[in-house]
Amino acid sequence: MTVQLDRRSFLNTLGVTMGAAAAATAVPPIVPAAAQTSPPPKGSIPSTPLKFGHMTFLTGPGAVLGEPSLKGHLLAAEEINARGGILGKRKIETITADENAGTDANVKELRRMKLSEKIDMFTGVISSGNTPALGPVAEELSVLTIFVDGCTDFLWDKAVPNPKYTFRITNIQSADGVTCAVAAAQTWPTAKKIAHIHPDYSYGRNAFDHFMIAYKKMVPGAEVVSEGWPKLGTTDFTAHITKTISSNPDLIVSSVWGGDYVALYKQALRFGMFNNAKFASTIAFGVAPHAIGKDHPEGVIAGVHSNYYFTFPPGNRWPANKIFVEKYFKRWNEYPNFQSDGAYHTLHMYKTAVEKANRLVGGWPDEEAVISQLEGMYFETAAGYLYIRPDNHQGYKDAVTGFSKNVAEYQFQTLDPARMITIPIRNITAPPHWPKPGNGHNDPTATYNWIKETWPQVAA
Amino acid sequence: MTAMTTTTATADTGGAAFLRLLIAATAILVGLALLPAVVDPYQTVLLTYGLVMAIAALGFNLLLGYTGLLSFGHSAYFGTGAYTVAFIVRDLGAHSMELCILGGLAGTVLVSALFGFVCVRHTRIFFGILTLALSQVLWSLAFKFFWVTGGTDGIRVAYAKLTLLGGLVDFAGPGSFQRFVFAYYYYVLALFTLATVVMWVIVHSPFGKALQAIRDNETRASFVGISVRRHRWIAFVISGAFTGLAGILWVPLNGLTTPDVLYWPFSGEIVFMSVLGGFRTFAGPIVGAVTFNYLKTAAVASTEYWQLLLGVVLVTLVLLLPSGIVGTAMRLVSRWTR
Repeated sequence: MTVQLDRRSFLNTLGVTMGAAAAATAVPPIVPAAAQTSPPPKGSIPSTPLKFGHMTFLTGPGAVLGEPSLKGHLLAAEEINARGGILGKRKIETITADENAGTDANVKELRRMKLSEKIDMFTGVISSGNTPALGPVAEELSVLTIFVDGCTDFLWDKAVPNPKYTFRITNIQSADGVTCAVAAAQTWPTAKKIAHIHPDYSYGRNAFDHFMIAYKKMVPGAEVVSEGWPKLGTTDFTAHITKTISSNPDLIVSSVWGGDYVALYKQALRFGMFNNAKFASTIAFGVAPHAIGKDHPEGVIAGVHSNYYFTFPPGNRWPANKIFVEKYFKRWNEYPNFQSDGAYHTLHMYKTAVEKANRLVGGWPDEEAVISQLEGMYFETAAGYLYIRPDNHQGYKDAVTGFSKNVAEYQFQTLDPARMITIPIRNITAPPHWPKPGNGHNDPTATYNWIKETWPQVAA
Repeated sequence: MTAMTTTTATADTGGAAFLRLLIAATAILVGLALLPAVVDPYQTVLLTYGLVMAIAALGFNLLLGYTGLLSFGHSAYFGTGAYTVAFIVRDLGAHSMELCILGGLAGTVLVSALFGFVCVRHTRIFFGILTLALSQVLWSLAFKFFWVTGGTDGIRVAYAKLTLLGGLVDFAGPGSFQRFVFAYYYYVLALFTLATVVMWVIVHSPFGKALQAIRDNETRASFVGISVRRHRWIAFVISGAFTGLAGILWVPLNGLTTPDVLYWPFSGEIVFMSVLGGFRTFAGPIVGAVTFNYLKTAAVASTEYWQLLLGVVLVTLVLLLPSGIVGTAMRLVSRWTR
């Protein structure tokens, strides 16, 4: 029952839109959700501080992507504390942990934070290798958790299929590979020979799988001509670069991230890897924006984990972003990445959930009440509308990606605000209750199976 | 622990000394048994990790301290134990921890017998490199065959799925984590005690003396009629089995197993534990393992420069206490009692 249609009408059905630069206008006094003052709380609220545990990469090549998470978290905590704390009474205290210590040490550290430091809530985490290990531990310990990233589908598909205490705010990972595939198919529809360079762990394989299943639906005849799987944390990509070039691809796809990506692109420049093939990344510009030099190739698809880039929407089209970027820059003297957005709005979303629960039950709401408010919450963030799906506790927002460009305004290379691609999230990820792997299919993820079964095949 | 250390590899086991050792060991054991009642559950978890690593270091030191072979690949046996348990629980659907231990030990003995057969043909750096290389073969298998091993995600082994003592103790139902923490601590403590006693008997047996003879002078040992290679091989297998037991016990505690425990830095940690505690003494690796575990956890928890802190502390300890914590303590005690 494969429906045949042409690529243009298929992309139209996906609702893919290209952004255009906005005219600079004066800012009308709009106050985003994160900055609104709250009504006085009901009942008596204890004044004991709230203890948060925040885990992210503070050292190693992951830090250039992960450290902004802590900065976003601290900025939100300072804002909330400046207004007296959550419900005007409970200030936020944060203890941190370095995710770079390794999965086993991270498990130990989460237990320490809950059992010894008695944290009220756990946030952060960047790597998809860590959330499937930490999620079950958080459920065991009954500690309310909002993961900022570590967005593997595997967490909800397999590791924690029925979450109670665990949530996640950034887009689900399968959307990342699919977003990249849609952008590439729309931009370079004749690219058939695809070379891949992905980190050798769950994120890389997830990106590979979802890019290919979606891309093949849109570009018939597409084939993989080379695969490179560098170990996560590698800084020498020479072998992978030469292998990729020698396969003579039309398009190179990569999900290498953080400091690894900075090393990859700088080495690839020396080999001229970007000269003869198009390049599309799921997460190249996911790092703190200033980590990308002006020497980065222009006009490539430089993904942002399909979540957020600080120049989009530009101008005053989405004041929540403009205000967030201004505050962040004022505090840290740098620009935020998608982790900063996630960590910052994690706290504000939690604050809103507590306030809502307080209006219903009075006093300091227990965790059950807060969880019921987080489930199904619709929230305004710098990255757009965010929806927390009740069935799997996963945050969904419209996916974005874009093209790299040097502009005079910034000391580093940015995404071109005039060429941003936005895709409605429900068009690229499996709907609620779509069968998970192991239930009637053995595909890598529910979304993979959903694409395979429901997306039409574009005619050759 | 200091009293226990008065028995070194070469000390006499005669009457009074043995009695003193027994009293000291019992006192330590009673202390360890009472500890969970006074410290918070997290400290109990941490100490369980420490005891597990102590079993690994104890096994490792049979090779380094008593046979004179520096293995740089003990992650292989720890990891084999851990992954065997994970496979047993995931693929065979077994729940009994005892079954996991038996299966895990069988797996480790097999692997260490095979690896040992190859490695004991050499000594010194060649031996070290061989053990390292073979362990990294296992690491890359676990890393690359992700459809079997889960790759870097590893395999999850939920404690709630396991039962202790043939099904007498289970952890079903909510809030079971606290129960698990206490029950498992005593479980590990019992096996740690057993492992320590067995190792003590081994190193003080004629077989243990033969290993020390080989360590001290290989040529002379073979002239006495000791089959050097076979003794080394048996020591290798015993050493691997102890480290494997540690890996087996570590899995439910950690909740999952990842290729990290097969990677060479983990072998390095085991070496360091033994050196830190003092590999010339029987109790050194035990003290070293528990200390290292606290040290690393405290460093990670206290600063983002934990690697630097850990490095500085470890280098300082090695420079100031070349005979390890236990060796130094013994020297101080003997100077004081003289």
